[in-house]
Amino acid sequence: MYYKVSGVTGKLTGATSFFGAVMSAGLKATVPSQAPAMIFAVPTKVVSETGSVAHYMGINKVPELQKIFQKTDGAPVHLKRGVMDKMLYRTTMGLTIGGTLYCLMALYIAAQPRKPQ
Amino acid sequence: MAHQAHAYHMVDPSPWPLTGAIAALLMTSGLAIWFHFHSTVLMTLGLILLLLTMYQWWRDIIREGTFQGHHTPPVQKGLRYGMILFITSEVFFFLGFFWAFYHSSLAPTPELGGCWPPTGITPLDPFEVPLLNTAVLLASGVTVTWAHHSIMEGERKQAIQSLTLTILLGLYFTALQATEYYEAPFTIADGVYGSTFFVATGFHGLHVIIGSTFLAVCLLRQVQYHFTSEHHFGFEAAAWYWHFVDVVWLFLYVSIYWWGS
Repeated sequence: MYYKVSGVTGKLTGATSFFGAVMSAGLKATVPSQAPAMIFAVPTKVVSETGSVAHYMGINKVPELQKIFQKTDGAPVHLKRGVMDKMLYRTTMGLTIGGTLYCLMALYIAAQPRKPQ
Repeated sequence: MAHQAHAYHMVDPSPWPLTGAIAALLMTSGLAIWFHFHSTVLMTLGLILLLLTMYQWWRDIIREGTFQGHHTPPVQKGLRYGMILFITSEVFFFLGFFWAFYHSSLAPTPELGGCWPPTGITPLDPFEVPLLNTAVLLASGVTVTWAHHSIMEGERKQAIQSLTLTILLGLYFTALQATEYYEAPFTIADGVYGSTFFVATGFHGLHVIIGSTFLAVCLLRQVQYHFTSEHHFGFEAAAWYWHFVDVVWLFLYVSIYWWGS
């Protein structure tokens, strides 16, 4: 395998014969110049620039959510999203306290001796 | 603005450990009340509280990790240790049931007819539905690995498809096993054979349902762009759990279905 600088791309390519490699390069000592920039048929586009790309199953909302949850409002993570979180928390805590009282009452009643037959 | 000078996660105060503990109290007392007084109110209340606790606790972990960035490498290492230790504890849980099975089946008592399967028990043919179930779970192990590689390579569509397939295979296993339970010629009350069979396979089935649910949550998160190609521990934990469920089935199949028939 011999090597030559391609006349088309300006980059190093293979040549099958010694003469092919030598004749295209010439016999003068040249400093290899910068290869010309490759130009594609259609310039590549950044994905966000294409409005018509179909996002597979929804768009990415994570950066938006990251902003919400990183707000320095002092709220603990379980209440960070506001009203919905507070409602769910209150329901859960209500069931917890109510349930505990109901449980203690049920166990107290269950512990009462039954009259023997 | 305060900043921490370390990479660890100092968690915000949370009410979920308390609500979870109360849920356990309500479920256990509720079970006793159901047995003695025929009322399921307390137990149902406990179950609802358990579901609310699980939803909000795990939702908060997702918020802390994905949205607040608290899951740094040392924190993730701790989560990995945690999941491994949990799965190990589950292995010991199943070991107990395998111990019970081998205790009864290696030296069958005269009451059973001195043989295993005991006299009067017609075991299920291991080369029918149980073999299909084995193939289904093994296939699901392949699809979950495919899903993992898809996530690591940033292939969103393939990750969603392979994860969906994994869950469908899990649901198929559950459906097949449910029909087997319905069609079985023996019940849990049929001596020690029935007890060991249904308790061991029953707990396994429960773990398949839990694993399928975990994978379904991962699917939702993958669709919502929570996982990156470098950081997707929630999925890895679900995949480890799924492989554990698969391995338990292989032991069940070889011991109870095949050797035990």
